[in-house]
Amino acid sequence: MAERQGEEGGLEIDRAIHEPARLLITAHLYVVESADYVFLMQNTGLTWGNLSSHLSKLEAAGYVEITKEFVERKPHTMVRLTDEGRAAFDAYRRQMKALFDDLPGGSMSSPTRR
Amino acid sequence: MKDRAGLREIERRVWLRTFEHGLWDLSIGLLLLSFGVGILTEFYWIPAIVVPVGLPSMRDLARRAIVPRIGHATFRGRRKRSMIHVQLILAALALVGAGMFAFTAFATRDTAPGWATWVRSHFIIVIGLIWGGALAIAGWAADYPRLYAYGGLLFGALLAIDLAPAGDHLGHALIGVGGLIAVVGVVLFIRFLRRYPPYPAPVEVGDDG
Repeated sequence: MAERQGEEGGLEIDRAIHEPARLLITAHLYVVESADYVFLMQNTGLTWGNLSSHLSKLEAAGYVEITKEFVERKPHTMVRLTDEGRAAFDAYRRQMKALFDDLPGGSMSSPTRR
Repeated sequence: MKDRAGLREIERRVWLRTFEHGLWDLSIGLLLLSFGVGILTEFYWIPAIVVPVGLPSMRDLARRAIVPRIGHATFRGRRKRSMIHVQLILAALALVGAGMFAFTAFATRDTAPGWATWVRSHFIIVIGLIWGGALAIAGWAADYPRLYAYGGLLFGALLAIDLAPAGDHLGHALIGVGGLIAVVGVVLFIRFLRRYPPYPAPVEVGDDG
């Protein structure tokens, strides 16, 4: 939890999500209801060990729920964003959008044309 | 970070990957093939075997061949509803096919009402509209454009044989279109198997059953 919020120049960034690999994981979990490890590895390009490590951090932050089950005697692990994780991701999106939209030079959604 | 990493793009890419393996195409192709073979051979029970046996086998194949390669995800909201709609539409497609045989028996009776006689005289076009339309609606519901092409192809083939000067070629048309769709499915499936090798089974520390 200690890593969850960081303050940089008055801006609080949720570091549990902000790290690039965890951002990819949460973005993929955000668009589905639940997914297994292979799905997440395939779509994020992370290795098993990396994925496990990042999911542990997200789980510690309360952002993901990991369910282990056995299908035909093989371990099958499903992961889903918790309501808290979904809300945190929404907040992170809004925060980043506001941050970049406030930059001099205009909004990201309306690029300046010559 | 992957290119075009917008959330909407990620969501659509992930969704379309569930169709990339070609087993949906293969299932639709086999379904149409079974109706075509059933009509041609007059073994009308063939689709009744293919639907309850073939489709669960396809689901089992998907579980064994697809999940170890691209994993498994469940969808939410609109996509979850879409998947249910597609399954319902394809089930309806199979039921309409089965009803087609029953209707033929009904409409050929002397006591058949006028509308039934009219439908029977335009039977192939009506079937083409229903099946082609069902595939197109499934394509729309699933956001999966290839189904539009299949719907158009099926309707076009049935319209062509209805306009043909002589002969009843419904069975041939269904075998042709179904065979083509099944071949597309097989090609996609082989390409999928080559593109995505299975992930090695992970060693889960701490899991002793």
